[in-house]
Amino acid sequence: MRINLVGFGVIGKGFAKTLIMKQDWLKSRYGFEPRVVSISDLSGTLVNPGGIDLSATLETVNRTGRIIDCSGASGMQSLDAIRGVEADLMVEVTPTNVVTGEPGLSHMLTAMDAGKHVVTSNKGPLALAYKKLKAASEKKGVQFKFESSAGGAMPLINLANEVLSGDEIISIKGILNGTTNFILTKMTKEGTDFETTLKEAQELGIAETDPSYDISGSDTASKLVILTNAILGREATYSDVSVQGITKITPEAIALAKEEGFVIKLIGEVEDGRLSVAPQLVPENHPLNVDGTLNVASFTTDLAGDVTIVGRGAGAIETNSAILSDILSIYRGVAGR
Amino acid sequence: MRIELDVELKDKPGQLIKALEPISRLGGNLISVIHLRETLTKRGRVPVHIIVSLENLETLETLLTELEANDIWVAKVDEVRRKKRLTILLIGHVVDTDIRDTIDRLNNISGVLVADMSLSMPHPEKETSALMDIEISKPDKLALALDELELIAREKGLTLVKSLEI
Repeated sequence: MRINLVGFGVIGKGFAKTLIMKQDWLKSRYGFEPRVVSISDLSGTLVNPGGIDLSATLETVNRTGRIIDCSGASGMQSLDAIRGVEADLMVEVTPTNVVTGEPGLSHMLTAMDAGKHVVTSNKGPLALAYKKLKAASEKKGVQFKFESSAGGAMPLINLANEVLSGDEIISIKGILNGTTNFILTKMTKEGTDFETTLKEAQELGIAETDPSYDISGSDTASKLVILTNAILGREATYSDVSVQGITKITPEAIALAKEEGFVIKLIGEVEDGRLSVAPQLVPENHPLNVDGTLNVASFTTDLAGDVTIVGRGAGAIETNSAILSDILSIYRGVAGR
Repeated sequence: MRIELDVELKDKPGQLIKALEPISRLGGNLISVIHLRETLTKRGRVPVHIIVSLENLETLETLLTELEANDIWVAKVDEVRRKKRLTILLIGHVVDTDIRDTIDRLNNISGVLVADMSLSMPHPEKETSALMDIEISKPDKLALALDELELIAREKGLTLVKSLEI
């Protein structure tokens, strides 16, 4: 299977590392030999129809930060690479943008138009234009998979749509952002205030320099939209979510809640057709009370009752667990395995 | 008269005795106590099913009042659900924005009662937190109470934190 890789930041490099790490295993277990035939970033594109040397590319980009510095690379733009370099599937892992969805949205639509399957971890286009993307993939008869975009390594979409395919999913709720969960957990354990804890999280590299996307609840909201659409079959967009972040939470509020046996968690929830992200009181012994950067999601179903899954919601290698499972599912579908 | 009670205890030592003591004091005869230690309620409390023989309805009312005063929640009496409990947090200038009005507005909804409230005020200038336990004795009033809370929070610029399982 030939792959156009678009985006070579943390997740893109993680994808290359994952393929190197799992190369022999993928071949012996599934007879699967993926070939990355192009890698694009903002600087340009590296092309090799026979398969790019991923180790050498990682070595160069780790040093210079740009694909254009790799031997044989050109200034070819990502959209031209998607149109022009023959491949079966595109992996789209450029930075997310929840305002315009770009450049991910154009990458995906262009790839689909060129008859390529699309696997992505990019939340922006999904939260903004799911309907359009789904229609484009159906029109061209290509697969469109995005397990890694919500919940990182946790197999939520596949769990609901494949494993629990006989169940109707009634509601989804969970903690879908590790940064805010880390901050709230630390405030709870140490009694520190929000600003101090945020600074600590930034020093530890858990929160971004600009943390607003996480702490405002926007990241959770994007993921909630993705899960709602993929699992409940809706066509919701980001603007359908009522969003409240964690910046107003005080150590006193956390202490009061604790006295009554509750913790405060940022919960994304879809129930009775309403999508909301807000801090909520969660009983201490409730399955959704997970600590640190962990994520958790719980489905309420008609047959199985509540099904809860806990896991890592971010990380270069963890996210690629979900990307690889999407690629394998397409490969096995195409190859009839 | 034989009465079945479903009560919910805090998950800490010494709670069961607090539930049983008033029964014996009021001359009740315990028929059965099932302490469901392993199946906590969604609110993290321990459910206990008690069957008891009591003298009359008056004794029952006294017992229920005493239990609730001991922070033992009576969920059902003879399979009839008594009250729903709603715990919420308000963060902001809770006191300065007329806390009396906040409570009155909730209590004015029939079937809704602010049963308990704890305040934490780090400094008069800083934001206060208030944790409220609200009793809902008519199930159809839950949505009304929540709507009113949201309205109050919006009007007074407070942050409302609801509980997960309502």
